[in-house]
Amino acid sequence: MRKIITMTVLAMLAVLSAGCATMFGDDKQKVVYHINYDDEKQLSAALRNVNNHIKAVGADKLDIKVVMHGKGVTLLKIANTNLDMQQKVIGLKKNGVAFQVCNNTLVGKKIDYKNDLYDVSKADIVPSGVAEVAALQKKGYAYIKP
Amino acid sequence: MSQEKRFSDEFLNAFVDNQIAAEEKSRAYVEIHQDEELNRQVCELRKLHDLVQLAYREPPAPPVHTITGSNSGRARLRFGVAASFLMTLGIILGSQIRVPEPAITPQAILAPSTVTPHTSQVATAASSRQSSLRTNPNKTKVVAKTAPKQLAVAPTANPQEVTPVATAVAPTELAPVAAQSEISGNAQTKVLIHLARDDNTQLSHALDDIEGLLKHYREANLNARVEVVVNGGGLALVRTDTSAFAERIQRLQQEYDNLTFAACQNTIDRLRHDKGIIVRLLPGVVTIDSGMAEIMRRQNQGWTYVQV
Repeated sequence: MRKIITMTVLAMLAVLSAGCATMFGDDKQKVVYHINYDDEKQLSAALRNVNNHIKAVGADKLDIKVVMHGKGVTLLKIANTNLDMQQKVIGLKKNGVAFQVCNNTLVGKKIDYKNDLYDVSKADIVPSGVAEVAALQKKGYAYIKP
Repeated sequence: MSQEKRFSDEFLNAFVDNQIAAEEKSRAYVEIHQDEELNRQVCELRKLHDLVQLAYREPPAPPVHTITGSNSGRARLRFGVAASFLMTLGIILGSQIRVPEPAITPQAILAPSTVTPHTSQVATAASSRQSSLRTNPNKTKVVAKTAPKQLAVAPTANPQEVTPVATAVAPTELAPVAAQSEISGNAQTKVLIHLARDDNTQLSHALDDIEGLLKHYREANLNARVEVVVNGGGLALVRTDTSAFAERIQRLQQEYDNLTFAACQNTIDRLRHDKGIIVRLLPGVVTIDSGMAEIMRRQNQGWTYVQV
């Protein structure tokens, strides 16, 4: 009798864990970093934060998006000429970090993303940076403003 | 520190909890308004009080009785089996029922057969509006003043939950909010924007961001609510004597009825005490008890937080 009950419990647990796995999908930590300032030191520090985050948690366990709008787009402007910043961006991208740029800013500041910004393709552009930050939080991304 | 003699910590706590007699209270009010240090103390206590209320939103679970006796092992086992069965069932059902995020379509809301999502809508509005919003006399916006202090003891933190009281209040009290939700579908996107610094360039950019956001939501036909919480230096944005953007704020409010500017009462009080400034707010700007408390409240209600 006891054996049957034990078996039942184990079977339940198996089903339960399977259920959990399908419900929550992959167990990646989802984070959005919000950048809307153009101070070079602050930008460097922000990227260092992201890098340390990856070092602590592991790139394979992370899904990080860096959303830039307003003055924050300057980050990729600097990366266009400043090799140090560029290396940082390249390193983070290698670790799966997505850099997203606000289209409102591109239009408002008349920025040509192909020439003025470092390594931005159409897929990296979101209609509104703030809306993207909000939408990502809705999808379970934790909000960090470094 | 004479006030420490006049008011013990117990007294101040009771004062914040609103548990002292009326005449005592009015005497305390006078003293507190005259004494800056005391005022700050009360303010801190209030903040703490708010935080505790937030933390204990859900009622604590009743104590678990331990099973004693000779057959406790079997009883526990049986209980375990039953519990795991229920959990498994729950999870399977849960994963079956789970639907994509925009569950409630605007059509569904307007359809008479599905009144529930609509009422839950209004309930959301009621519970969120309830957070001690007071309107500026210049412009009367919707206020759920009569909505009872329901939120703190609501059974779940989920704002979509329909609380019966809020539903009862809804039809008469909150008609304009209901109308607002009908115009633009269901209130799925709720964004709180926090401004705390007094820097006109930055504030100007922030207004650009806010306008861009509202425009984006309108173009995407998304029903969204945007609340701009100003405290500390950020209050300058909505003060009649300091705002460099009074006209722009007015225009934004006229253009987007889903936009609210909320000013922190703590900051307003502090300005009066520290600098003797009597703050006048721009038309349509509401006040909230505490900017920080509002930010936490809103996040608990499912709003997203963005600092610009």
